[in-house]
Amino acid sequence: MIIYLKKFGTNLNGRQFGKESYSAFKPSLRDVDKDENIIVDFAGVITFTPSWADEFLGSLNDEFKEKIILKNTENPSVQATIDMLEQIYQNKFKIK
Amino acid sequence: MNNKFLTISQAAERIGVSIQTLRRWDESGRLISIRKKDTSHRYYKEIDIDKFLNNYVKNLYKLAERWAAAEKSSEVPADYYCKDISVFQGRLTRLQNDLGKVYRLNKIYPLISAITGEIGNNSFDHNLGNWPDVPGIFFAYDLNKGQVILADRGRGILNTLKKVKPELSNHQDALRVAFTEIISGRSPEYRGNGLKFVKNVVVSNEIDLKFTTGDAQLTIQKNDHDLDINKSKIYIQGCLVLIKF
Repeated sequence: MIIYLKKFGTNLNGRQFGKESYSAFKPSLRDVDKDENIIVDFAGVITFTPSWADEFLGSLNDEFKEKIILKNTENPSVQATIDMLEQIYQNKFKIK
Repeated sequence: MNNKFLTISQAAERIGVSIQTLRRWDESGRLISIRKKDTSHRYYKEIDIDKFLNNYVKNLYKLAERWAAAEKSSEVPADYYCKDISVFQGRLTRLQNDLGKVYRLNKIYPLISAITGEIGNNSFDHNLGNWPDVPGIFFAYDLNKGQVILADRGRGILNTLKKVKPELSNHQDALRVAFTEIISGRSPEYRGNGLKFVKNVVVSNEIDLKFTTGDAQLTIQKNDHDLDINKSKIYIQGCLVLIKF
């Protein structure tokens, strides 16, 4: 499955918005097969922050762990946020 | 020369404050109206209102400081006040779009927008349901000067962090913890890491930060890995922040 984050907006910030985004998307995750990877695509996202990411990627990480692959992470706020989350979660994300 | 006159309600709308505030400012001499007699209606020269607004824009940081430091809350222009998080989100997206048009910032503007978002959201997340007097934040920017200013009249960093670190006893230590200690895992404290992100971004880029809470003031700039925390000249109950780029 590919999750296109730009479908949630170009400015992804705030816990409340992150929580709402994950809740809205959660039903779609039921379609994921047992061995399927979850590709999170950042193309088109402009502002990405740890507060939004902790609610969305953190929840995804709790559920799917090593099946998550991040893609199109060149944006500096995406990179800075991923670095921060890796420090907090003490694990490395797979990046395509 | 512009000799047009405005009624008090037109002037209040232009500045974004109430008529009562303009009456008070008239009495205190801050913005004097024109009246035929003491009992007559108040009028303002349009040119005087424009000058007053220009001064406001020149002193955005001072304006935020005055609002955040005052014992009793005063009114701020509606354009700079976000009463709730949805107003802030909308204006933050406008900042993102405006920053994106500034050529010299084309590599770092997502980071400026991201740290502004983290600081503003922190104010709402940590004070929701607990604002001591006025809910919401002051949020303004001047891209010609390369400045973003945020302020709140919330509980401040020390009172917020004391909930998870009761041993903290002063604003300087609280500020240091907020900007340096990583809280690992996603529970029990979900919120503790936004300001560490802000610090990481500032030390790696051409961005300066001044952050005041209580009687403590932190300044950080590029490559500043040691935090410079001093006593502030003015006491801020919540937080007052200047981001320069």
